[in-house]
Amino acid sequence: MAKIGLLFNGVWSHYALATAPKYRDLYQLLYVHDLDAAAVHDLDALAIPFQSNQAVLTEKKDLIYDFLRAGKKVFLEGDSSTAWLDAQWEDRPVNNYWWVTDPTNPPVSATNYDHPVYQGLTPRQACWHTHGVYTHVPESAEIIQTNAEGEVITWQTHAYGGTLLATTLDPIVEHGVQQITHLDNYMDRLTQWLCGVRPAPERLTIDAAAYGAGALV
Amino acid sequence: MLQALLISNGLVGLEKYYVSNELVQYTTCFITKDFNPDLTPYDLLVVPNGSDHVAMLKIKDKVRDFLDAGKALVCCDGFFTAWVPGNQWVMDNSRPTLEVRYAPGTDRYDLLRGFDLDELNFSHGMSGWWACGYIAAAPAADVVLADTWQRPVVVLDEVSTAGRMLLTASGPLADVTYAGRTESALVTIYRNFLQLVSSSTVPAHG
Repeated sequence: MAKIGLLFNGVWSHYALATAPKYRDLYQLLYVHDLDAAAVHDLDALAIPFQSNQAVLTEKKDLIYDFLRAGKKVFLEGDSSTAWLDAQWEDRPVNNYWWVTDPTNPPVSATNYDHPVYQGLTPRQACWHTHGVYTHVPESAEIIQTNAEGEVITWQTHAYGGTLLATTLDPIVEHGVQQITHLDNYMDRLTQWLCGVRPAPERLTIDAAAYGAGALV
Repeated sequence: MLQALLISNGLVGLEKYYVSNELVQYTTCFITKDFNPDLTPYDLLVVPNGSDHVAMLKIKDKVRDFLDAGKALVCCDGFFTAWVPGNQWVMDNSRPTLEVRYAPGTDRYDLLRGFDLDELNFSHGMSGWWACGYIAAAPAADVVLADTWQRPVVVLDEVSTAGRMLLTASGPLADVTYAGRTESALVTIYRNFLQLVSSSTVPAHG
């Protein structure tokens, strides 16, 4: 039974990850326009991917904070609106070629590898590219990753009851896209942190039957 | 001037990639729970990269009617639901991105004019950055661009409906010019299609 609700904006990369045989028993797609309290009641965690519909999330923010108040976990990646979050996100140019042109200068310069999601990751596995930065985070936040300018990439807070982990990395979307080959490392740790179950150590594969007329929507 | 409806699922910054110009006037349609747009005032439906294909499936009959009225569709995204007449995007990660190279196919309207194909083949020396998966194309549609394994990644379909469809295997396209910079391949392909759609002398032959 799925333990993690993946808030779904109808985007194919969200779909590719949640329907992949490796992850499909652990993630449940929650179409954002149908999201309600009943849909999340039995879940351990919510994952809010990059390319989410932030306006609709803002309308439904009480649901997210109620979920946290129940002591559960929420993971937020990529860009995020300040309208529902006590933080300031700012856009920055995406550099996804640093490892070719300037491999000694990655978009993340400091990482707390004690965090369960990051334990055992190499620096390359802990950062591929970022989508903007946080220039303000809640006072209670623990900073987990920063860039060379000291701007926040990843942070976590327990201020709302459960745990909110926010990052401008985009592991869910990029792992769905499958153009970066090492993301099983990050996603498997993230999945275990969210729900307590570590996916099998195998490469993500695609179930072709879940596409087209057989799409699970 | 073309009237285009840009479908938006609220992605941050989407509208800055589709800016009205001398060829086209964009109107943005935001997807809601009761998504059911009136397509009749428009000549072109634009479903950009990162779109909501659950919502598009809900209006598949309306899209079909729109195209059968001789209108046009651009979908530059992974359409994993079955809403595009005659064609289906297929996700596939079995081929190494390192080996991806694109080759021109049937390009009767010269949609690939005005840019170097290596812009799509490489970004900062990396290959496989542009498209994902491939399109199971309608049998008589034009495969404008194929990948290393002869799989369609850009399709022009004038046969499945009475209108025109330009489809990419999730290869992003855009309609924006930055002052002082050469237009990228992503803009050039898109505008070549707009010019085709704008031409009243070249009806779709569907």
